[in-house]
Amino acid sequence: MADPTTVDSAVPQGPEVDVVDLLLTQHARIEEQFLLVMAATGDARQEAFDDLARLLAVHETAEEEVVHPLSRSLVDGGDALIDDRLDEERQAKEMLVALIEDGVHEPGFDTAFLLLRDAVLTHARYEERYEFTQLRAKVPPDRLRALASAVRAAEAVAPTRPHPGAESATSNLVAGPPLAVLDRVRDLVREAVRRTGS
Amino acid sequence: MFNPLDHKGIPLEQQIRNWRELNVAPIDPEAVDPYTRCRIITMNGIEVEAIMFSHQFARNCPDIDVKRQLAYTRFVENQQQRVVNWMLPGQASVLETTLGYEQVAVDLTAWVARHEPDPYLKQAYEFGVLEDFDHLYRYANLYEMVERRKAEKIVDAVTEVMPGRPTVAEFRHPFDNVNDPYDKDAVDPRSKLHALTILSAEQQVMIFYMNVGPQYMEPIARQLYQEISLIEQEHVTHYESLLDPRENWWERLLTHEYNECWLYWSFMEQESDPRIKAVWELHLQMELAQLQQAADLLRRFDGREPEQVVGDTGLPEPLTFEPNKEYLRHLLATQIDLTKLGTGYVREAHERFEQMQEQIHGGEKPPSETVIDAHRDRFGDEYRLETEGPHPVESLRVVEGARRG
Repeated sequence: MADPTTVDSAVPQGPEVDVVDLLLTQHARIEEQFLLVMAATGDARQEAFDDLARLLAVHETAEEEVVHPLSRSLVDGGDALIDDRLDEERQAKEMLVALIEDGVHEPGFDTAFLLLRDAVLTHARYEERYEFTQLRAKVPPDRLRALASAVRAAEAVAPTRPHPGAESATSNLVAGPPLAVLDRVRDLVREAVRRTGS
Repeated sequence: MFNPLDHKGIPLEQQIRNWRELNVAPIDPEAVDPYTRCRIITMNGIEVEAIMFSHQFARNCPDIDVKRQLAYTRFVENQQQRVVNWMLPGQASVLETTLGYEQVAVDLTAWVARHEPDPYLKQAYEFGVLEDFDHLYRYANLYEMVERRKAEKIVDAVTEVMPGRPTVAEFRHPFDNVNDPYDKDAVDPRSKLHALTILSAEQQVMIFYMNVGPQYMEPIARQLYQEISLIEQEHVTHYESLLDPRENWWERLLTHEYNECWLYWSFMEQESDPRIKAVWELHLQMELAQLQQAADLLRRFDGREPEQVVGDTGLPEPLTFEPNKEYLRHLLATQIDLTKLGTGYVREAHERFEQMQEQIHGGEKPPSETVIDAHRDRFGDEYRLETEGPHPVESLRVVEGARRG
C-alpha cells in the first residue's frame, strides 16, 4: 500500500452507478478508515484521524443535503425515521468534535474513539437497512443515478487527502484538522450539492 | 484426554437462566477474530440440531416422564442457542453473516476431512467442502456488488476466496446424494461426532438461506440464495445419510450430548476472546449434566453403558478452526471434477447427472454464474482473495480485467 493512512476503495464509476452505490462505498471507506486509525500510532494516527474526520464531514453533509430530504417524503413515518438518523448524526458529530479538541494523544482517546466508531457504524447500518432500501424501492432508478452526481460533486470539493502535485485552492482549504476546516468542508459540500441541482 | 462421562457438571435444575443472564453482549462487528465468529456460528448450528432432534424424539416417545425430561432439557438448550446466536452483532448484514457461514463450512469441513479415520467418510467431506468453498466465492462477489464491501473484511485472509467446484455443476439427481451409512458398531466413535457436526452445520446453513434469501430486494441476491440454499439441502441429504439409521433414539441422544461436550470443550480450549471463552466453559458445564441424563436414559431403556456408544477413551483431540489453505488447494487440484453416482464418486457426467442438469438449469446460466458476470460487468473484474498464488486449476484462473472500482 503506497500510503498506509488512506483507504483503497475506489469511487465507483459508470452510468449504472447510483447515489446508493456511492453512499455504500463511502460507508465501506469509513469502516476501513476507522480500522486504519486504530492500527496507527504517533503522527500517522493523527493523519489517519484527520482523514477520517474529513471523510465523515463530506459523507454526512452529502447525506443531509441529498438523500435525507428525499427520504422524508417516501414512506409513512419517514419524518420520524429521518429525525432519528439526524439525531444520530448530531450525536456522532458531537463525539467527533470532542475527539478533535482533545487530540489523538489524549489518554482517553481509545475508549472515546471506539464509542464514536460504534455510533457511526450503527448509524450507517440503520441507513442501509431502513432508508437506502426504501430509496431503491421507491425512487426511479434514473433519479437515483442523477443524484449520484451531487454526491460526486461533494467528494470533489473536499478530497479526503489532497493528491501530491494537485494542490488547488480548494484542497488547501481542506487540509488540516481544525474544527473550522470541517465547517468549511460542510459549506463547500452544501454549495456543490446545491449547484448540482439535487 | 478429558472424559465428559466422568463429570457431573451444573445440576440440571440450576440451568434455567433469567433475562439478565440471557442478555449477552454481542461480539465487536468490526474487529473480531474471524474464527470466533466461526465458533459462534458452529455452536448455533449444533444447538439448533439439538433442539430439532429433541422435538423429533418427543414426537416418537410414548413415555410421558421421558417426554417431560426432554422438554426440560430442550428448554435449556433453547436458551443456550439464544445466548450463542445472540452473540452475533446486530450491525452485521445478512450477507456478512452468510460469508461467516461459508467460512465455517469451508474450514470446519476441511478440518474434519483431515481428521476423519474412515476413507469413505473422509471422501464425503472432501467432496462437500469444495462446494461450500465455491459458495463463499459467489457470495463474496454478491457482497461487493450489493454492499460495496470486500469479503476480506469478514474472512480476514485466513480463508481464501476463489472458485471451487462450480455451483452450476453441484446439482445432482437427488438419488445420487444418498450415501452408505457407517456401521454404528464398527466405526471409530470420532466418525460419529464428525458426521453429526457437519450435518448440523449444513442443516443450519440450509435453514438460514431458505429463510433470509427473500429479505433481499436485489433480484440477483434473491436468486443466488434460492440456488445455494438448494445445494445446502443436497448437503444435508449427503451428510445425514452417513449416519447409521439403526442407531436408536437413546444412543442418538447420547451422541448428541457427547458431541456438544466435545465442541464446547474444543472451543473453550482455543477461544481468543476471554468473554466468549467463559460462555463456552459455562455451556460445557451445562452439557456435562445433560450428558449424564442421556447416559441414565440409555442405561435404563437400552440396557447399555454410554461407553459402548461413544467409547471409553474420552474426547478426541479438539476440533480446531485454523487455516486449511494448502489442503484445500490440494483438493481443488485433484477432486474438482468429481460428482456422485449412487453412493460412489465418479468423474464422468453420467446420464442421470445430465438429466438433472437439463431439468434444473433449463438451458440458462444459473444465478451463481450470472452473479460473477454481473460483477465483472460492473467492476471490470471478479472478487477473489488468492493469498497463496494463482488458482491451482488452470481453467479456473482469473481472466485479467481492469477493475473499474
